[in-house]
Amino acid sequence: MALNNITLGQYYPADSVVHRLDPRIKIVLLIAVIVAIFLASNLLAFVPIAAFLVIVTRLSKVPVKMMVKGLKPLRLILILTFVLNLFFLQGETPLLNLGFAVIKKEALTMAVHYSLRLILLVLFSSLLTLTTPPITLTDGLERLLSPLRVIHFPAHEMAMMMSIALRFIPTLLEEADKIMKAQTARGADFETGNLIARAKAMVPLLVPLFVSAFRRAGDLAMAMEARCYHGGEGRTRLRVLKCQKRDYIACAVTALLIVCVVLCGKAY
Amino acid sequence: MQVTLEHVTHTYQPGSPFQSTAIEDVNLTIREGEFLALIGHTGSGKSTLAQHINGLLAPTSGRVLLDGQDIHQKGYDKREVRRKVGLVFQYPEHQLFEETVAKDVAFGPKNLGLPEAEIAERVQEALNKVGLKDKDIAEKSPFELSGGQMRRVAIAGVLAMRPRILVLDEPAAGLDPQSREEMLQLIYGLHQQGATVVMVSHSMDDVARFATRAVVMEHGTIAMDGTPEEIFRHAERLEQMGLDVPSVCKLGIRLREMGLPCPEDIFREEQAMEALLALWKEGKAHGAE
Ligand SMILES: Nc1ncnc2c1ncn2[C@@H]1O[C@H](COP(=O)(O)OP(=O)(O)OP(=O)(O)O)[C@@H](O)[C@H]1O
Ligand SMILES: [Mg+2]
Repeated sequence: MALNNITLGQYYPADSVVHRLDPRIKIVLLIAVIVAIFLASNLLAFVPIAAFLVIVTRLSKVPVKMMVKGLKPLRLILILTFVLNLFFLQGETPLLNLGFAVIKKEALTMAVHYSLRLILLVLFSSLLTLTTPPITLTDGLERLLSPLRVIHFPAHEMAMMMSIALRFIPTLLEEADKIMKAQTARGADFETGNLIARAKAMVPLLVPLFVSAFRRAGDLAMAMEARCYHGGEGRTRLRVLKCQKRDYIACAVTALLIVCVVLCGKAY
Repeated sequence: MQVTLEHVTHTYQPGSPFQSTAIEDVNLTIREGEFLALIGHTGSGKSTLAQHINGLLAPTSGRVLLDGQDIHQKGYDKREVRRKVGLVFQYPEHQLFEETVAKDVAFGPKNLGLPEAEIAERVQEALNKVGLKDKDIAEKSPFELSGGQMRRVAIAGVLAMRPRILVLDEPAAGLDPQSREEMLQLIYGLHQQGATVVMVSHSMDDVARFATRAVVMEHGTIAMDGTPEEIFRHAERLEQMGLDVPSVCKLGIRLREMGLPCPEDIFREEQAMEALLALWKEGKAHGAE
């Protein structure tokens, strides 16, 4: 059914350098790359970023198809971004006269610029989630945020909540798929009809889904308590994170990327 | 009314790294009036097969025919299949959602677009069939009921569509012994009233008691197909597949191992009783000598 095409947040198991990088480093580097994407002030500056993306993707052994799949849910936003910018941005050099509107060269550049920015943002973020198991990811996040404990930021609780949420997304999707099938067997129709009919058709799916989610949450809380879970205080770790040579190399390469982007931006 | 699966293969998530072939080249004809038990080790593809019978899953290759018509061909109304073949999922109580039991049971007939009066009649009939005759139960919230009752309501929801073929995926899983027995008697009763039943089951004792035909799945293919007598004669083969034989068969095997002349084709309690009585009488005759 329609529920198995969600890539964002889906781990792609493979044995690669990118998979083995320290999750903390990967998160920090993603932020750095995002900064680089926003620093890119002209189209030339996107060249090193795109090249970097291609290289990292190749290294990670994630099939291009999986990456592109992550863009699919965003195609509407992408098209809108492109079209709106194309028609509504001001500019001086007319490029094409369509009769009802004149497309300006500056507008086209900006439309491409914004769309590229969005695509790169999504692709890099997907790359992180595709190469890092969710649990490792939250583990890394918890460690990055733990210094904030001084100002009473509940880093451990946040991370625990996130990893539980992540852990249960596939379970809930599976459950939703099963309930959908069960209701379809009773003649329910989720795919046709107008908006109101479709929204109504969701009730037989959502009610059982919530019931089961609450049941699961209760069971989980009980199971955690039975195993003496008492929060982050004094908790030791199963996986101790340690930076290695490859992590430092990754940092250096990313720093180089930012320099390239800034230089390209200055080239005009 | 019969369903035929022709060379049915089903692959989940084809083309992705998670792709897995759950059933492969399955050929099966479900004949009118039979009580077919589908058995097999965990992950052997029973549920996947069951979902092909009413067209919920479409085969990756192969065809599913209902009375000779390919149900996945263009222009074939799927609702026709849903109406004729009722599918009760494993833990069907998890699909309940309405405010009252009666409304929940009415969901199926409503989707068929039936008139109010007929819906009400069917709801009452379905609830009667599953042994929930009480007027107050019909007006209760399904979430207030016990697990066994909830399951009955869910089954009533499928029966209210008056299917000719009833497919049940482990209908007795997770019930206490008494509810289990009641559930099985309920299904047996439906079969006696003329329904064709396909039941996925892990209990060989249940298969021996009720089924007229047993199909054994292994790694997504049909490994054995025959009457329970024929299937349970191959205790060793079943054991290799990680399956069991009915406890009565085990008793027979033990007796034969002890050198007692116990016949090989017993797998029901009544038959065991007779065989044991015969043995006992023989023993007494010997003792009298
Ligand atoms: N939605 C799904 N997506 C991917 N793979 C699946 C899906 N459902 C089942 N499978 C796989 O297909 C195979 C057969 O599963 P199926 O549920 O048909 O087995 P089963 O015989 O019903 O097992 P059980 O006795 O545990 O219910 C299994 O290997 C399972 O992992
Ligand atoms: Mg199953």
